[in-house]
Amino acid sequence: MSQTDMKRQLSDPASDATDSEDMEEDDEYANYYYDNTDDLDIDKPKKTDDPEYFEYTILQTEDAERLLNEEVERLCSELKMSPSLAKMLLHVGQWQGEDIIERYQQDQRKLLTESNVSCPKEMKEDSLVGSSPGCPVCAECYPRDKFMGLTCGHLFCPHCWDMHFRFQIEQGITMGIECMGQKCKILVPEDFLYSVLKDSKLRDRFSKLCFMDLIKGHPKLRFCPGPNCSVIIHAKEPRAKKVECSVCKSTFCFRCGIEYHAPTDCDVIKKWLTKCADDSETANYISAHTKDCPSCHVCIEKSAGCNHMQCSKCKFDFCWMCLGDWKSHGSEYYECSRYKENPNIANESVLVQAREALKKYLFYFERWENHAKSLQLEEQTLQKITSRINVKVMENEGTWIDWQYLQNAAALLKKCRYTLQYTYPYAYYMDKGGRKQLFEYQQAQLEAEVENLSWKVERAEITHRGDLENQMDIAEKRRQTLLKDFLEV
Amino acid sequence: MTTPARRRLMRDFKRLQEDPPAGVSGAPSDNNIMLWNAVIFGPHDTPFEDGTFKLTIEFTEEYPNKPPSVRFISKMFHPNVYADGSICLDILQNRWSPTYDVSAILTSIQSLLHDPNPNSPANNEAAQLYRENRREYEKKVAAIVQESWNDDEDDDVEEEEGGKTAS
Ligand SMILES: [Zn+2]
Ligand SMILES: [Zn+2]
Ligand SMILES: [Zn+2]
Ligand SMILES: [Zn+2]
Ligand SMILES: [Zn+2]
Ligand SMILES: [Zn+2]
Repeated sequence: MSQTDMKRQLSDPASDATDSEDMEEDDEYANYYYDNTDDLDIDKPKKTDDPEYFEYTILQTEDAERLLNEEVERLCSELKMSPSLAKMLLHVGQWQGEDIIERYQQDQRKLLTESNVSCPKEMKEDSLVGSSPGCPVCAECYPRDKFMGLTCGHLFCPHCWDMHFRFQIEQGITMGIECMGQKCKILVPEDFLYSVLKDSKLRDRFSKLCFMDLIKGHPKLRFCPGPNCSVIIHAKEPRAKKVECSVCKSTFCFRCGIEYHAPTDCDVIKKWLTKCADDSETANYISAHTKDCPSCHVCIEKSAGCNHMQCSKCKFDFCWMCLGDWKSHGSEYYECSRYKENPNIANESVLVQAREALKKYLFYFERWENHAKSLQLEEQTLQKITSRINVKVMENEGTWIDWQYLQNAAALLKKCRYTLQYTYPYAYYMDKGGRKQLFEYQQAQLEAEVENLSWKVERAEITHRGDLENQMDIAEKRRQTLLKDFLEV
Repeated sequence: MTTPARRRLMRDFKRLQEDPPAGVSGAPSDNNIMLWNAVIFGPHDTPFEDGTFKLTIEFTEEYPNKPPSVRFISKMFHPNVYADGSICLDILQNRWSPTYDVSAILTSIQSLLHDPNPNSPANNEAAQLYRENRREYEKKVAAIVQESWNDDEDDDVEEEEGGKTAS
């Protein structure tokens, strides 16, 4: 698309206004999108029937501290125990307060023993001998009452406890500090630690590290993984859903902290990413940016995100991925996204099976990579559109509201393309059968509409606004349908 | 200069002399209390019987909060000993307690010779033979037992000391 074309289109927002019918239609669409601006502007879904709907809040450090303290206090008052012990029980029990209360009321000793905060009676020992015994660690002799220990009865001098805590904190261990006794797993509660550790710098460091440990162990809290961002995400439910940090703008999966990956689940995406990283040779082979036109064989370079290619020489419309005729891609029989397995594979030799396995992986990897590249190019498209709108608005050629639909279209395209990319690892690990067939059908539907939308966004200046908005609606509906059926909630 | 680690090592040495456990011996090297030489005698009723295996123990100032690094200097063939002589033993890693002293470390290694743990192999060949072909395992161990004597011939004091403790 030439810049001047785009300019001409952008500089004439009222061109449709001459036709009253068109204007009516446009207003209808405009209203439709005004009602749903939230869905397009921010990726945070608001509606409860949305498969990606996810409730979370962004907490500052103090808010998160308060939240943890409230949970600790609740347990304290319910079970009449020290905050230090309550904190330990909550951390060990993954903050399942109700469950802890129930288990405590059923069998107090069992819970305390299982949580490693108290020692079973038969294991208690007192290894000190004489009225002025030697410390089992440093061998210095002290009066008996100088020695300190936990419920296990392992007694040590305060100096050795202090050294032990110092060493553990330096290793980054806080909630997991254990007693010094041989084979003893009894955990050190913080009130005991603070009664020994007097160094204020170290106490400070302990409290900071401890807070991080507690957050990491809390299923509904997660530090934002964004660079230099210190906020904490508080989710209503611990799910593998998308979070966008309002502070640093990074987006990620709440459960695993890496980039959002619906409809693929956390374990599968990890497996897939490891597999891709292991196979850098494949990545090199794939990364070629050029292909030959399947009709006239002229070399074509891909510069935009759309996979619907048109040869600049012979004008043949084809698919970048499979080099097939684009005409067949618009129909129900769209098969570009579906890998056709050799039905006879079980009877083939090991060698043929290995080649088939590689072929299958390459098929999915190629599409995964290709959509990632398209996504990058479409990000550039979005930026170009945004800056052009800015120029227009500055030059008083229409307002933001007049042009925003273009930006919305480019943003929605990215969102749909992103989901499409993450359907490939999902499909790769899926077992053969009816569910896979349904998935591939919906994936193909989504792919076809994403490419249509991409084609139109790239040609925004020659695409009718209503037509573009209609395509947006279709693509997003396909995306939602797929997620509704396949995103594990 | 005396530090907590050095004071503790002096105590360890004193204990080892006053109350020597059977089948092990150890002492700080001449001018460095942080580096020890030790010998473990192959326990009776094991393929390691009659072997005299030398080790070095290296301490840091963080001892006893942190375990020392222990390595066999003599050639070893054992499921839980790596090719470089270092040892896969829980109390020397994650199950360390500051109450372990040199005496406890050496006797723990001695009992590892008695009861290898083939589930956490450091030497795959040894672990596999230990599980599947005990005769071949014992043959290989016998070879390193012989080699351990050769080590001793070009050594002096330690061998005599060791001989006394073993008998
Ligand atoms: Zn002490
Ligand atoms: Zn203990
Ligand atoms: Zn952030
Ligand atoms: Zn995840
Ligand atoms: Zn062509
Ligand atoms: Zn295709």
